[in-house]
Amino acid sequence: MNKRILAGLGAFAALGLALLVAGQALPKAGLPALTTSAGQSTDVTTLNIVLDEAGIGYDYCDVPTAEMVADGVGLGGRESGPGFHVEIVTDLEKYPAGTPYKAVILAIGASLKGMGASGLTLDSEESRLKKVIDHCKRNKIFVLAVHIGGESKRGPAGSDNERMIDAVAPFADYIVVTKDSNKDGRFTKLAAAKNIPLTEIEYALGLVDIVKRVLQ
Amino acid sequence: MNPRRLIALAGGLVLAFLLAGHVSTAGGPAAADVLDPVLAGDACTSILVGRDASTDGSTMTTHTCDCGTCDWTWRHVPAADHKPGSTRRIYHISQYTTWPPDEGLKWDLVKKDFTGLEIPQVARTYAYHHGMFGYMNEKQVAIGESTIGCVRKLQNPTPSAKLDLSMLTLLAMERAATAREAIQVIGSLAEKYGYGFHDDGEMLAIADPKEAWLFEIMPAGPLWTPESGKPGAVWCAQRVPDDEVSVCPNESRIGEIDLGNKDFFMASPNVVSLAVDMGLYDPKGGKPFSWKKAYSPAEGSAVSTQGRRSRMWRFYDLVAPSRKFKPETPNMDFPFSVKPDKKLSVQDVMALTRDKSQGTIFDPVLGIRGGPFKNPHYYRGTRLISVPNVEYTSLTQCRSWLPDPVGGIVWIAFGVQDTSCYIPFYAGASEMPKSFQVGDHFVFSRDSARWAFDYVDFHVQVAYNAAIEDVKAAQKEWEEGALARIAEIDRLAAEQFKRSPKEAVKTVTGFSLNNAQNVVRAWWKLGDDLLVKYNHLSLYDAAKRRRGRIPTADPDWWNKAVRAFDILMEPDKK
Repeated sequence: MNKRILAGLGAFAALGLALLVAGQALPKAGLPALTTSAGQSTDVTTLNIVLDEAGIGYDYCDVPTAEMVADGVGLGGRESGPGFHVEIVTDLEKYPAGTPYKAVILAIGASLKGMGASGLTLDSEESRLKKVIDHCKRNKIFVLAVHIGGESKRGPAGSDNERMIDAVAPFADYIVVTKDSNKDGRFTKLAAAKNIPLTEIEYALGLVDIVKRVLQ
Repeated sequence: MNPRRLIALAGGLVLAFLLAGHVSTAGGPAAADVLDPVLAGDACTSILVGRDASTDGSTMTTHTCDCGTCDWTWRHVPAADHKPGSTRRIYHISQYTTWPPDEGLKWDLVKKDFTGLEIPQVARTYAYHHGMFGYMNEKQVAIGESTIGCVRKLQNPTPSAKLDLSMLTLLAMERAATAREAIQVIGSLAEKYGYGFHDDGEMLAIADPKEAWLFEIMPAGPLWTPESGKPGAVWCAQRVPDDEVSVCPNESRIGEIDLGNKDFFMASPNVVSLAVDMGLYDPKGGKPFSWKKAYSPAEGSAVSTQGRRSRMWRFYDLVAPSRKFKPETPNMDFPFSVKPDKKLSVQDVMALTRDKSQGTIFDPVLGIRGGPFKNPHYYRGTRLISVPNVEYTSLTQCRSWLPDPVGGIVWIAFGVQDTSCYIPFYAGASEMPKSFQVGDHFVFSRDSARWAFDYVDFHVQVAYNAAIEDVKAAQKEWEEGALARIAEIDRLAAEQFKRSPKEAVKTVTGFSLNNAQNVVRAWWKLGDDLLVKYNHLSLYDAAKRRRGRIPTADPDWWNKAVRAFDILMEPDKK
């Protein structure tokens, strides 16, 4: 197959995917948004790059507590330090410090190395996530769960990655996963059972258009 | 604080000063640089030696596989012919993932992680030896590794990246007959199918009998897709001048590049453009493009990091003391390579991998750091070349004057270099011992060669400065013995190769297996002997059937240090 045909097929596939996503009625969340990790894997970096690519400002904290989420944009002026990382990319003119978040986006994926660096264990990470999600539910903050790490961020029932999925996905308002992440249909079944809208994407790149439409 | 404690504190400080011999800038644990995304990985040192920088004309590479929980097993993969139209399955291989032995072996279980990608197979794949990476193939293509990290926006842990570093090195072993071919194989496959997933910024030392290249590769960011038509990786390689040596201590080493000089530089087509696109380099900024400054910047020196990044300075100071390299020099300002004051033998390179910075300001046994037995493993403030959590060290030699199956040798030292023994395997060896193919950190096994070396290492820790002398004697016997035998085997196998390559392969295989078996057996016995000899922190002389005192036990300086500490810790009297 020559390169032109391949390129044509690629463009066709990308267009098809874009139309597929464009045709969906996606939930609306709004801004400002906070990004964080459920399990401290590097997938949250991908999530932040997706938002950068989409031109959306955001706050990022690797291990926010419910109290920090309650402090809103700027997370109460907290600064990065050992085992704690904060980045404020939110447009502060539009959303001044303290503005309550309208969305919390969680990148699901367990990394024992990442949790170790933040002084967390699986149990304490689960506990932290539960409190953050409870806070979001009480305060009507939209919870977007993304799983973009593929099969490497999955595992047998009860494994680190599955525990992170259990801690977040059933309580999300919207779930976005890559096809590789959902090969066994776990997210599809979970979303159907909980009546949560779900979108499957081919690559992380597919998330760019989604966050534009959900957050803006 | 009471006066006695004040005096003790002052005395303790003076004592520490006197014991240290001088003021150390390496005091205190290294500050954890948790915000440094580039140096997140801090494991593995790789050394490169050009052919005219070695005493015998070998090119050499090393890889200290520093981890602590990783797989240490080695395998031989035979050559194979493949029918036209056949494909090669691509698996995701994590450097860190292991499985309990009762579930199976890593190199069988990685096949469960099929990426879904099958690439066209080549007509013939070469035979090779591999551990965590491919290390030596039958054409004398050799590889070593060191993780260097990259700027965050380049990382691609998503499934769009089909190729991890381990898989790429195996493909290079299978397909490359020279170092340059290996670079092209790795680079072109990474560009086409996307690189990253389990890995990000990585360095490989890639050598053949004539050349040693330092190759570095990074992913192209998480938003890369194969349909984009853009390369799924960015890479660059610089050749080490033949009469020079270089090192990679988990830091990018390639600076400014001259792609017009094809004898010394190779790179992906996006080597500069990706940096411009990602805002990592401004061509209008008036400065030439620097690979490491754009993609993997890491400021700091041995001194400014309290020894955490001391390996760069230490290596250069060891090989070229006449250049008087300073530990205060930022690591990024060290030259890419250096001409050593003296050409390096294979034993010199073994010694470099065993280095623990003793006698320097980063000495781990300076003052009271090593305890009464001067154990270099107690103090963790300095990142040394030789660390206790190494899985194994590879040392490859490629020798142009011998036929490939005889010319290539990979020396393998399981466990910590100071208590281990380098075991040679010819490139042409068609087997690895069973004991090299099994074993795991969490289940002790006498069937695993690696455990023999851990067994010795464990017993050495009890009375380090005494027991290490027993190990050095054993190393001298077995490593010098192997080198002497290699000279004979080289001559014999090279002669045989002219008549019958198969006969030569049989000879080098027999030697490699037999020597390995003998060394492993000797190390199990050495472990037993050390247990008996230093039992109860005494010295049991088996020949004389007498129990004595370990000569290095209870040094006066240690007793003084303990006394000073005791007074310091006394509770205040009311």
